[in-house]
Amino acid sequence: MSPRLHVLLGAGGVGKTTLAAGYALALARVPGRRVGLLGIDPSHRLKDALGVALHDVDAPVPSAGALRAAVLHPEEGVRRWATEACSDPAKLARLYANPFFAALADRLATATDIFAAARVAEWVEHDPALTDLVIDTAPGLNAIEFLTRPERVAAFLGGRLVEWLRWFAREEPTGSAAGFLRGGARRVLGSLSRIGGSRMLVDLADLFSLVDEMFARMLVRVQATQRWLRDASTQLVVVTSVRYDGAQMASSLVLALSSAGLTARAVVVNRALPVGFAEHVAPFESEAIANDATASPVIRYALAYAAIQARLVGAVHDLTSKTIVLPVARGLDGDARLEALTSIGELLRVGLD
Amino acid sequence: MNFGALVDGLPRVTFVLGKGGVGRSTVATALGATLAERGERVLVFEWTLAEPIAPWFGFTPAGIEPCAVQTRLCVANFALDDALQAFFVEHMHMGAFYRHVVHGRAIRRLVEAAPGIAEMMFLGHICWLTTLAEKEAGLAFDRVLVDAPATGHGASLLDLPATIASVHAAGLLGTEMSRVNQMMADPEWTGAIAVSMPEELAVEETLELVPRASRSLGRPLLAVVVNRSVAGLLKEDASPAWLRAARARLPPDVATGLESISADLSGRLAFERELRHSLEGATKLGCFALHEQLALGVDASPRGVVTALTSAMRSDGAVRA
Repeated sequence: MSPRLHVLLGAGGVGKTTLAAGYALALARVPGRRVGLLGIDPSHRLKDALGVALHDVDAPVPSAGALRAAVLHPEEGVRRWATEACSDPAKLARLYANPFFAALADRLATATDIFAAARVAEWVEHDPALTDLVIDTAPGLNAIEFLTRPERVAAFLGGRLVEWLRWFAREEPTGSAAGFLRGGARRVLGSLSRIGGSRMLVDLADLFSLVDEMFARMLVRVQATQRWLRDASTQLVVVTSVRYDGAQMASSLVLALSSAGLTARAVVVNRALPVGFAEHVAPFESEAIANDATASPVIRYALAYAAIQARLVGAVHDLTSKTIVLPVARGLDGDARLEALTSIGELLRVGLD
Repeated sequence: MNFGALVDGLPRVTFVLGKGGVGRSTVATALGATLAERGERVLVFEWTLAEPIAPWFGFTPAGIEPCAVQTRLCVANFALDDALQAFFVEHMHMGAFYRHVVHGRAIRRLVEAAPGIAEMMFLGHICWLTTLAEKEAGLAFDRVLVDAPATGHGASLLDLPATIASVHAAGLLGTEMSRVNQMMADPEWTGAIAVSMPEELAVEETLELVPRASRSLGRPLLAVVVNRSVAGLLKEDASPAWLRAARARLPPDVATGLESISADLSGRLAFERELRHSLEGATKLGCFALHEQLALGVDASPRGVVTALTSAMRSDGAVRA
């Protein structure tokens, strides 16, 4: 029995992280639930709001019932998984000393999609009682590259590359068929060395054999998450705020998901103004400006905002079967922010039900 | 020094860094349009999975082939496959090698998996664009504005010269790498600016980005551009009289919406102050503000905003700290 996954996707800055936290808080209030929140790079204020120092390993959120939270930290994760996969300290020391390992850890840090997918499965292995896992994702299409370009995962973690390099690195061929093949391969190797230098290739082969086992485990975990995401209970929620690039990204995300055989459950338009806003505010503009000239930029901005909102709610409406419009909320930065977070999360929870 | 002086002082290649959503592409395009108006041939070079800029001008998303969106202003988007092909076929004249080896699955896996190769090709392509592209492919640009990937990845690009120095590359790739290092080390060839906006996360990230990127580059950034500033447009007053009047006159949810918008905008004043204050303590960076165009009644489409920002840059309408 695996938990229900709730994945929030969207462009940078649309409020995914805040919404994910609010939604997880709201879910954790439902009796009988044990909820996890896997975040990415939250602001200091959100960490303060949750009242927990967030690490790669999950910890309980105080005064939030059965909610545990963690934040993706690739460096911590890579080291933990390396230790998990390899009990030989000498081998680990060689791994850390390899010039490519630092570069690889860095590269992994940019492959947050693969990393997050592996982290999700690891969490469930360690906490099988979890009923719900709310996942905040990296901005944009990169968050789902592990679904839309599975060949990249294979390239990253697949054992075949390691096999191929080992086969390359082997001494003189023995069998005639293998020898014939390897002869061709060696010519390729020769050309590659011309490009990359032979030392670089040796380093690379060394590294790949060292991380072989670690990557094999990661691959199994990523595949488990890929399967869960296809489960009927999984909710993929695409978030946009009132911004053209946010809406453009929402539509790219829905298309990319569908090309990977997945259906987004809903598009959320975050921080929206109420229906009829412009009709009420436009006639009020001249009166306000007559009283106070500084009203003008605020009202102009608000009307432009309402106009963009009208256009983009229309544009995202047909993307999914459900559009959830969440109001601009106040108090997310005030003293009662945990309450404000939970109530906006509750609106999303009700909207998705 | 004014905004015009910043534009004048840009090197041939400018990395435009910043968090997603702060308007990095908008600012890069407006800077590009400003340079193009002055008679320079400009390329805005992106690295993204969904190219946004060309569609603002009514074109299909740009690939690695530059797409002219306005007079002297082109847009192109990096893709590893195309860059590899350009490198081996056009630059190295190794067409057969590319078709039989690089294009093959095994090598594609190596290239996909090996750390830094895509980044290396990205920087290598920029280097090529500003040196040999004119002779080899008839592409002549006076300036390249690099709309770098969002913060973390964008800043790690600047680390690449140090990373590649540690991998002992020799041969052809080694030669290419030393050319990239030469490009990154030359202040007249490359520089970087950070785009931010007066909003919580953006300010936090900018304050982390600026020292990190300066360290990687080995010299200070050229400027921080504060996009969507309301400094000078608003008074800092959480509850002005007109807004209290709105509460009395308008339906409650409409008044709440207006109050939220107003609170958001006046909150930007404090975030901009925080950003400027922290930057002044840490660096001698110029901090340039571009006004929130939606508060000025412009056409709210992305192209409308780019046009308005270009005109603000032209007339030095932007203000400096």
